[in-house]
Amino acid sequence: MSESKSEFKVWESIPVGDDLGKLDYVLTEQMVSDYRRVVDNPHAAYPTVAARHPANLFYRKYASVMRVPNMGHDSEYFNPPVAGKRITISGHIADKYIRRGNAYIIVEATAVDEDGRLIERSKLVGLAREVGKQAAHANIAKKWGA
Amino acid sequence: MMAGDLKVGDRLVPVVRDVREEKMVEFEKCVWDRERNSHSDINVAKADGISRTIASGQNQMAFLHELLERNFGDAWVYGGKISVRYIHPVYGGDRLTANGMVTELKEEHGKPSVVLQVWCENEEGRKTSAGTAHAGQPSASRTCIEPARAPAK
Repeated sequence: MSESKSEFKVWESIPVGDDLGKLDYVLTEQMVSDYRRVVDNPHAAYPTVAARHPANLFYRKYASVMRVPNMGHDSEYFNPPVAGKRITISGHIADKYIRRGNAYIIVEATAVDEDGRLIERSKLVGLAREVGKQAAHANIAKKWGA
Repeated sequence: MMAGDLKVGDRLVPVVRDVREEKMVEFEKCVWDRERNSHSDINVAKADGISRTIASGQNQMAFLHELLERNFGDAWVYGGKISVRYIHPVYGGDRLTANGMVTELKEEHGKPSVVLQVWCENEEGRKTSAGTAHAGQPSASRTCIEPARAPAK
């Protein structure tokens, strides 16, 4: 195995297509009002922005070995979630690649409510950082001196 | 603005929001409590390799959502798409402006579609996130948001 491959050992071990399973929760009125207050938008349609569905599914399986700081997000919105409804999210590893010497993982999650309404489909673009090996935000410090 | 009024090069009415440390902490507890992390706790931030907390990318996404909700109404809420990359850190005390500019008008699946360049910039004019968004032509219908909010002019 080459040096560059061993650098991304954990990343290599996570297969594209890997099923991250399902997770569900009830989106309460309180959650919706909390979100709208915090973002100063009293009518925000998608409080699920703060729920980070892909990240939560990913960390349920890989938190002990991998961090995926959010470098970007691709999302499609179909129907705003309704307070009081149970939302089920399911996800998988959609892609992974190396760019400019950094390893990335794309995590996709789909959210559907208890009535079968498709809420959203989101992809997290995560910078793959191996736990115990690379500080999660070392790239930010390096680039901007943060 | 009525559907069809948008032209390539039109700018959306921007959304300006102050990022505050206390709101950054609260954001991490919305919907799901993410516990202490580099967005909410200085000690975790230091352990993660940075000297101060940074706002999460999803904070910026929330501001871009408001931009699109205000300007497109249900045409964004039902069927909108966005793709954004976070390109510069955002800190407590920053003032962010969410912007959008029409880059293309086309049809998708037989329906009119507006393609936009979207971005957030800080008070120094530095872009902190950038990407694209798609929505239908602006709709006067706002079933999920404040009816009084007018679309872009």
